[in-house]
Amino acid sequence: MTMDEPLHEIEMRFVYGRTLAEMAEEDDRIVVVEADLSKASGTTPAFSQAHPDRFVNVGVAEANMIGIGAGLAVEGKIPFCASFTPFASRRVYDQVTISVAYANANVKIVGTAPGITTGPNGGTHMCFQDLAIMRVMPNMGVLSPCDCYELRSCLHWMARHEGPVYMQLVRLKQRAVFDESYRFSAERCVRLHEGGDVTLVSTGYMTPFALEAAKALEAEGVAVDLLHYPCVKPFDAETLVESAGRTGRVVTVENQSILGGLGGAVCEVLAERRPTPVKRLGVPDRFGEVASEEYLFEKHGFGVRHIEQACREPRQGD
Amino acid sequence: MPCEFDREEFDRLAGEFRYVITDMICRSGSGHLGGSLSLVEVIISLYWRIMRVDPANPRWEDRDRLVLSKGHAGPVLYVALAYRGFFPKEELCTLNADGTCLPSHVDRLRTPGVDMTAGSLGQGLSAACGMALAARMDGRRHRVFCILGDGESDEGQVWEAAMFAGHNRLDNLIAICDYNKLQIDGFTQDVVGLEPLADKWRAFRWEVLEMDGHDWDDIYETLGRASAVEGRPVMVLAHTVKAKDCCPVENKPESHNVRVPDENAYATFMGGLRRRDYSLPY
Repeated sequence: MTMDEPLHEIEMRFVYGRTLAEMAEEDDRIVVVEADLSKASGTTPAFSQAHPDRFVNVGVAEANMIGIGAGLAVEGKIPFCASFTPFASRRVYDQVTISVAYANANVKIVGTAPGITTGPNGGTHMCFQDLAIMRVMPNMGVLSPCDCYELRSCLHWMARHEGPVYMQLVRLKQRAVFDESYRFSAERCVRLHEGGDVTLVSTGYMTPFALEAAKALEAEGVAVDLLHYPCVKPFDAETLVESAGRTGRVVTVENQSILGGLGGAVCEVLAERRPTPVKRLGVPDRFGEVASEEYLFEKHGFGVRHIEQACREPRQGD
Repeated sequence: MPCEFDREEFDRLAGEFRYVITDMICRSGSGHLGGSLSLVEVIISLYWRIMRVDPANPRWEDRDRLVLSKGHAGPVLYVALAYRGFFPKEELCTLNADGTCLPSHVDRLRTPGVDMTAGSLGQGLSAACGMALAARMDGRRHRVFCILGDGESDEGQVWEAAMFAGHNRLDNLIAICDYNKLQIDGFTQDVVGLEPLADKWRAFRWEVLEMDGHDWDDIYETLGRASAVEGRPVMVLAHTVKAKDCCPVENKPESHNVRVPDENAYATFMGGLRRRDYSLPY
């Protein structure tokens, strides 16, 4: 890794660690808290060497990591606490609920290797519910950036935003969707492809796949309105309602359970504001397993091929 | 700032605390009486003799902090804060009332002078570690106190925080265990034995002190020694009596969360206090 490489040629975790280290140069309130996974998160060595006095490693103790983050935050620090997604969300759900969200402590929680991207770690580490369980927590913002440029912009926003935020961090190198000029907004989703036949809604890891599908469908004559939601909460309802009103058909895709996450948010908004048929793609009500991405996409039905198929035939039985 | 000690005055204040706490809880119909009454002398000592606080500026940067990790003992802290002038004493009768700033469990967003939210047991010591770390990062010399319950010490997170504080030599952190030997389902030794509790904390690289949590001199002297310890966090085991001086439930498991459904029950609790020669401040 060199500083001259284009950002999207770098693994997302290194972009995370490097960006935080840069931000910490400007803002001495930024602190990194890790639970023995700092290399996996990318904060070692980038942050730990640049700012050893603001790098805290609690060992394999995620509950303590969240509580320490809360204590730092009420004293005015901006702690970024990271671990693998299941350990940054479901394992510490009560600590996040009480010490962070209920106390409205300005803690930034980062779940790395979300969903199927945890790969060989398998079912124990494959968390499909973090977007859903974090979304139902009052005071909590929920983000899932799709590439390194969006990740950087999200991190700057998180530091500026006063309040708890949960963010998914894909650790691997990601295809570039945006470029250096991109600026994240918590208020508006991003229309990545315009069309009037079907609304396709994606977030995080699945957005590059959704974009690939939208482009392929364009060649077939199916015009996809692709809405990327880096911010799952707060949720930009207006853009979705407007799009669904034009297309009359909605497909959602996420690297998560189809219950309660992005698809859940879409269904809630549309049921109240503009009832529209929705096909949710993601993992059905199942646990994960050790397997390749191709196998998991096929098994659960949310790869590019399935996205294209759902966009052509949005309603089951059609 | 710390106040001058007058034994007779402090004895009278402790009695008044118990009288007001019991009335607040009974008036609201139910509440955590036992674990509030066991802490009266410790809390008074902290807020009148030990901690540097400024009631006119509850968020004063150089104040000493208190994390009441056994957040259900809110009532005893509220009485201390009101009597020290953080908010009017008249507020005390609103415990648990609709829209109150005094919820059953402590909440930093609602009550002036409450430094951290707590209520789900086991979380406060971690927050206190974070607060102590922040002080160290900023080169500030204030202390962070954290009061744990003995039953709360069953929680695994307490020991995660204990290991962290010992490893990081957080000597600006002073924890106090309200060791009243009772938890909800019975005596701690019968539910899950904590002993040897002092040895456990020593094994986690803490300095451990013990005191009679109802003896003014012992509390003052012990917390003074705790403040002087360098290079290690300090755990003070405060030997206390749950529901102290409320005879109907003193040292009984049922004191943990009492129900006060009617006037008769109210009279039983208030009449059962050892000292009753007080008037309510609201």
